[in-house]
Amino acid sequence: MTDFSATIAFGLIRRLAAAGTDTPSLYLLISDTGATRAIEADIAAEVQLQLGLGLRSLVAAEMRLDRLEEAFKRDPDRPVTLITLDHWLPKLVTALDRNVVSLTRGGAVLLLANQAIAERLLSAAPNLRNRLSDVLAIRPDEAFGGPMA
Amino acid sequence: MQTATDSKPGAVVFDRRQVYRPFLERLNPIGSQNLLPDEIVAPDHDPRDTGEPPIHVAFANTAELTRGSQMALVGGIGSGKTTELLLTQKELSRHSDAVNIFVDMADYTDLSEISPGAILATAGIQLYRRLLKKAGSKKLPDAVGTAWAKLRELAFGKTKWIDPEAFDPHDDESGADLVPVEVPGVMKLRFPALRGQVVEILGQLLTIASPLLEDEAQLTLLVDGLDRLIRPELFREFAEQDLQALRGTKISVIIVAPLLFLYDKSRFLQDYFDPVKHIPAAAADPRTSTFLRQILERRGALDFMDRAEIATIAKYSGGALRDLLTLARSSAEYAYRDAEDRIGRGHVNAAIKQLGNRYLVGLGNTHRRLLRRLIGHGEFPIENSTARELLVNRQVLEYFKGGVDYFAVHPALTRILPKPA
Repeated sequence: MTDFSATIAFGLIRRLAAAGTDTPSLYLLISDTGATRAIEADIAAEVQLQLGLGLRSLVAAEMRLDRLEEAFKRDPDRPVTLITLDHWLPKLVTALDRNVVSLTRGGAVLLLANQAIAERLLSAAPNLRNRLSDVLAIRPDEAFGGPMA
Repeated sequence: MQTATDSKPGAVVFDRRQVYRPFLERLNPIGSQNLLPDEIVAPDHDPRDTGEPPIHVAFANTAELTRGSQMALVGGIGSGKTTELLLTQKELSRHSDAVNIFVDMADYTDLSEISPGAILATAGIQLYRRLLKKAGSKKLPDAVGTAWAKLRELAFGKTKWIDPEAFDPHDDESGADLVPVEVPGVMKLRFPALRGQVVEILGQLLTIASPLLEDEAQLTLLVDGLDRLIRPELFREFAEQDLQALRGTKISVIIVAPLLFLYDKSRFLQDYFDPVKHIPAAAADPRTSTFLRQILERRGALDFMDRAEIATIAKYSGGALRDLLTLARSSAEYAYRDAEDRIGRGHVNAAIKQLGNRYLVGLGNTHRRLLRRLIGHGEFPIENSTARELLVNRQVLEYFKGGVDYFAVHPALTRILPKPA
């Protein structure tokens, strides 16, 4: 596995807080498949705690290509969007790649994928790859030091 | 720097976010359209010829002197094409009769679909908007209003109300017993025939533009976004009808096109555009040019790091503007994470490693062999599809020096590329 900087949801959202959620940014987060749910929950909690905002959460398998503009729409109450790429969907990836400017215009976008999907995404989506603010290996909070007291 | 963040009288709390946030905003590589004019460093010559004016000046001169000219800007992802278009738009605005329409096509239509007429329709929509604003309370000519109504219908579609009793989806008015047989003519068209709908949209666009064209206004359409189609044949399918329709009108077009056109065997670029300008992914040679360092300094880098760190960032960007900003931004984020007020060498090195990893991920054995061949022997077979993929993804950068094009592996990737076992 490529040696990307490792983080947990706390560190990731701290970065977003530093840059400001209105600033367009696009992060690719690589996780183990089994940890996806826990990471989604961690991110939602940190967005609420650190930014005082709600998280807009989308799952790739449920996104409709003919309704992508809804995914791109800016929501002032939820400027951070998490898209979980739970399946490899080449048509969706092409659409996200070609419309990457619209995707990031609404604020911060976090793409969560396992290693295999992340590698395919980076190969198949050159525009998106180019606009990534960073690629991070993300783990659930527990993995870093045991359950929080 | 101290910032008051507490409402209690006299309480002053250090908030490092307020130190870094403005800097990070200025470094955002995906927000160049929001930059202030003094944050853009305009090139002072053509990137491929120091004796020629910069691209934005050359484009503006052509649009001003030859109305209806079609110009193409070819370059890799993140090479600064949008910035060149914005600079061209600014340059063109020096004349009061200039009407410049800047559009990112992805804002108006789904680039996943091929849409002949979409560029013309977008231009018509923007022109009508300008006319409305200019007219204020005055009424626009009836012909313009009628053309706008038709164009809107063609662009966005309409809902027809029909009697459900009379509707038969299987009824083919052209005659159910007839099948079409194509009989090719002897005259081979150099350019494909315009589709009926494109002709119709062009007609409405020209009617909307007529008050401006009659006043001899200088109309320029600057089209961004279609380089994201990556493959030349997709760009051609998307744009050819519209470009052909605009030939012979007095509306100039400046359009960004995918880098791979340069290595395409068709004559599409030569047939449609004059001039064609090429921006290499590397805007400048980081070893000799001060341009890259100026960009960071203009955005306030000296407040956060020493000149040595700026020089290292410039070197490992390989001259690619987007990577320059990404490295500076990542370095700042690492410094913020470490609760440091200044960016040090360690932060810059971490950012370089992270960028290198981004370029490394997804590379198979074939990719790696090509990269090693380029590093070891300076050979890069650009006709090979894997090699082109490396170029599109910026793992390999194109440079131009002394009249010769050459390629090099991105320095951040070179630094972390594993040695063969």
